[in-house]
Amino acid sequence: MTFEISIPRLGWSMEEGTFVRWLKKDGDTVKPGEPLFELEGEKAAQDIEAVDGGVLRIPATAPKPGTVVAVGSIIGYLLAAGESGPTAVAPASASRLEAVEPVVTEPAPPAAPSVRRMARELGVSLASLAGSGPAGRITASDLKPNVMTRPAAQVATSTVASPRARRVAKELGVSWDNIAGTGRNGRVREQDVRSASAKTAARQPQTHSTGHLAGTAIPLTRHRRTTADRMSYSSQHTAPVTLTTRVDATNLVSLRQQFKSAGGNVVPSYTDIIIKLVSMALAEHPLLTAQWVGEQLTIPAVTNIGLAVDTEAGLLVPVIGDVTSLSLTEVTIESTRLIELARQGKLKAADMQDGVFTVTNLGAFGIDAFTPIINSPETAILGLGRIRREPSVVDNQIVPRDQMSVSLTFDHRIVDGAPAARFLQTLSQALETPAAWLLRATV
Amino acid sequence: MSVAESSPPSTSVALSLYRVMQIIRQTEEELARCHQRGLIHGACHTYVGEEAIATGVAAHLRPEDVVFSTHRGHGHALAKGMPPRELMAELFGRETGCSRGRGGSMHLFSPEIGMMGTSGIVGPCILQACGGGYSFKILKTDNVAVAFFGDGATNNGAFHEGLNMASIWNLPVLFICENNQYATEVPFSYAAGNTNVGERGPMYGMPSFTLDGNDVLEIHRVAGEAVERARSGEGPTLIECRTYRTRPHAEGMGDFGYRTREDVDSWKLKCPLVRLRQTVQEDDSPSLSAKFDAIDAEIAGVVKEAREFAEASPPPASETASNHVYAEPARAPAPPVPPATRSITMTQATQEALAEEMKVNPTIFVMGEGIGVRGGNFKTTAGLYELYGPERLCDTPICERGFVGLACGAGMTGTRPVIDFMFADFVLDSVGEIINQVAKMQYMSSGRLKMPVLLRGCIGIGHSAATHHSGNYYGMYAQVPGLRVVVPSNAADAKGLMKRALRCDDPVMFLEHREILTVKGPVPEGDYEIDFGKAAIARPGKDVTVVALARMVHLTLSVCDELEKAGISVEVVDPRTVSPLDVDTILKSVQKTGRLLVVDEAFGPCSIASEVAAHVADRGFNDLDAPIKRINGVFTPTPYSPSLEKAVVPNAEDIAQAIRDLVNE
Repeated sequence: MTFEISIPRLGWSMEEGTFVRWLKKDGDTVKPGEPLFELEGEKAAQDIEAVDGGVLRIPATAPKPGTVVAVGSIIGYLLAAGESGPTAVAPASASRLEAVEPVVTEPAPPAAPSVRRMARELGVSLASLAGSGPAGRITASDLKPNVMTRPAAQVATSTVASPRARRVAKELGVSWDNIAGTGRNGRVREQDVRSASAKTAARQPQTHSTGHLAGTAIPLTRHRRTTADRMSYSSQHTAPVTLTTRVDATNLVSLRQQFKSAGGNVVPSYTDIIIKLVSMALAEHPLLTAQWVGEQLTIPAVTNIGLAVDTEAGLLVPVIGDVTSLSLTEVTIESTRLIELARQGKLKAADMQDGVFTVTNLGAFGIDAFTPIINSPETAILGLGRIRREPSVVDNQIVPRDQMSVSLTFDHRIVDGAPAARFLQTLSQALETPAAWLLRATV
Repeated sequence: MSVAESSPPSTSVALSLYRVMQIIRQTEEELARCHQRGLIHGACHTYVGEEAIATGVAAHLRPEDVVFSTHRGHGHALAKGMPPRELMAELFGRETGCSRGRGGSMHLFSPEIGMMGTSGIVGPCILQACGGGYSFKILKTDNVAVAFFGDGATNNGAFHEGLNMASIWNLPVLFICENNQYATEVPFSYAAGNTNVGERGPMYGMPSFTLDGNDVLEIHRVAGEAVERARSGEGPTLIECRTYRTRPHAEGMGDFGYRTREDVDSWKLKCPLVRLRQTVQEDDSPSLSAKFDAIDAEIAGVVKEAREFAEASPPPASETASNHVYAEPARAPAPPVPPATRSITMTQATQEALAEEMKVNPTIFVMGEGIGVRGGNFKTTAGLYELYGPERLCDTPICERGFVGLACGAGMTGTRPVIDFMFADFVLDSVGEIINQVAKMQYMSSGRLKMPVLLRGCIGIGHSAATHHSGNYYGMYAQVPGLRVVVPSNAADAKGLMKRALRCDDPVMFLEHREILTVKGPVPEGDYEIDFGKAAIARPGKDVTVVALARMVHLTLSVCDELEKAGISVEVVDPRTVSPLDVDTILKSVQKTGRLLVVDEAFGPCSIASEVAAHVADRGFNDLDAPIKRINGVFTPTPYSPSLEKAVVPNAEDIAQAIRDLVNE
């Protein structure tokens, strides 16, 4: 009977060892228990005893001294007397469980979890970066160039929201990143999302469908989305207060009639006249133009005034630059140009930037007064109502006079009620005596 | 005690002993070959050279007698009647193995034939055999239990505790010490102050013998007498058999670092098989010689068939890896709890449950210090001794490891032990028995053994009990697969959970907070159960979920009304059992409230509180409106002085403040 001689496992975890040498020669008769060969395992070399007896047959293909051999591999045979036996070693016993090939994966470059998260958010593959930290570790500064190219919209979303708030925001179809959080360190919580959503719903019930109301969907334009975002941002990030006052516009109407009667290419509209007068009132109350720059309130050097224009595409607010330095005629020319561009959809982004104050006029629609929403990051906006001839008491006599309402919405975070009211007072005087004010203008 | 001259054995007895020894020898040698060929995945400790001992003792055993053994247990299993094919298949890691591939060389189970298991830990088999003996006493049978162990175990506390318990309770147990002179590779001559194990029996008050461990006939004779004594109520016997293993401690280990080849060779010449053959064949009868040869050939065939069977057997399916951790199949939920009719304390409630179950189940017995006549330090067994006597209300020596190990063996052999620790701190001496034996037994036996063992004791900080009477250990036990861990907070729950525990086939750790033992609460009369793994909503609410255990449930409830007035509605969830832990109910609550506070008197690291937090952070992430908060006991041993003690336990104001903070997160 032929017995296989195989490599045993020495200790718990040995998978291979070094075959040191045979302790018997080919052809020797070996008894069970006699040392047969020497094997070096994990700890030390050890004499391996024969578990069977017979004549040792060492095939030519048997491992040479110093060779690494796998546990279970057959290195020789013990034969009964007269048996010839195999001449080459057979593979290891088939039923031995094969070692599982380790799965080789590309090693991820070392980086701290915060850096990995930043990379994920930026959509940057860590493997594409060269690490400057110890042992090639990728640091936050290695990601910096990518941060610079990050879209501005994403940079702004630094708010933290609880997982539940994020979930609820998603369920309600609202964006949580513009919501002011009431939790610790401004964390947006479920109640913040729900109250923001309720406000939005109250303001624009038809803008977010519950999904149950049957109707025709209105294609959402990019412009609509932008306006929606800007309006919600303003309503959530400012503390708006609206003051309304009535002014006697009789002189304004008369002045405008004179311009019209005088003819010419350039006839100022009410709005043009009022914009010029607003710039002059703002010069006396510059706080109404203040803006946050970082953590600092700053009063802009020039008075650029935005003009709300209703177009087919929706509301647009082109900006007339440095109104203080423009004559009324120049204001008229500029506003006419911008309104035309707006109606044609040809306004450039630059035409709508850097406003410090906005004037919006709904008078043409028969509106008397309203509460305009501040055009962030500006501090105040002036809403003009319609001009109407009404009975008025002058010197104890009822006389017909042109009357008009003006509404000032201002950000109470920046301006208090009294200074805002004083601005409105100044403006009222200007509107009631426009010719005198315009004469006072330096240009 | 002297050994009488042996009378010549009958030839048929000699041949049957030889046959068993030959089964062991040839199976072991084949296993050694298989190990060399890499067919055995783990350790392989052979019994070569020691065959006479298992053979001589097991010859007297009936299938219902039980054997508890060690890491060198192949011979015991084979001598008790395990077919070689089941042993080989087990070592090959196959489905057809005696433990269905869950055990390997050191965990061989065949309860059907009284092979109650081998153990990778030295010592427990001695205590488990005592448990088998105690069961037979309760069940009033004449079965016997046998512990086989090596010389190494005699230096272990289990030897002392086990022999003492067997002696004082007169248990039908044989303690068979196989002194092969090395504990792994440490010589017994070095490790023992008195190397004569056979002298030690009388110190415990039991008969004791020292035998030649390679003389199967002598072992057979002495063991026969010991078994007779045990069956007839004369108690335990200690037998030391001096022998030698002629193969290494485990296959693949070097053998000549601690002993010499000459020593090994000299012991090979004392081979018990050769010796028996020579003794019987003094007349050199050719017919007898042929009978021995025929046995050799027959066994060679059996072993060859066994190996082929093992190699051809399939490995167990990977998806069954966690089968048999618990005995309990899925069961219908317990019927609703009936209305409470009177107010009693938590201790009265559990005593009532125990009394009712002991009345209907005669296999229940209680062990502990002072639980007999005295009725328990905390009146846990008040009045029961008078009804059920000293065997079922058994006062113990102070040997927690010993009687927990005993409970393990008793649970395996048909009785239902209730171990009353008094203080859970005391049981730390027996944690090895709980974790390595009690909790794993059902799994290792592939579900063929049940482990209906109830382990109960007090936990909790209060009344200056100081650090050895104050521990909360449920978090630690909840990390052990196989255990059920109950932490009741009120009397009604305690009764229902105790009833459940006394009918459960799994081991239950029932931990009662000492500071609420005498708190009265409404408790239904008569029979009802509360399922494990079902949390209670102790108070419904909508703003914050508080998960609290034991006394902390009471503290949390005490602040809820005031918080409610302040506009904070608190929902209190009491898991009641921490293993299994009812994560679903907690998640459902957090889904409602969005906020979670866990209040637990136990330490924070790796605790139930961290487990609850982890589950909610994972499965309830999108429900969280605030970070998860935990209040735990201060991470320190429990101090004595009241001023220090109160500083380490969460109090009501801590809880109220944490809830208020959580609402503002």
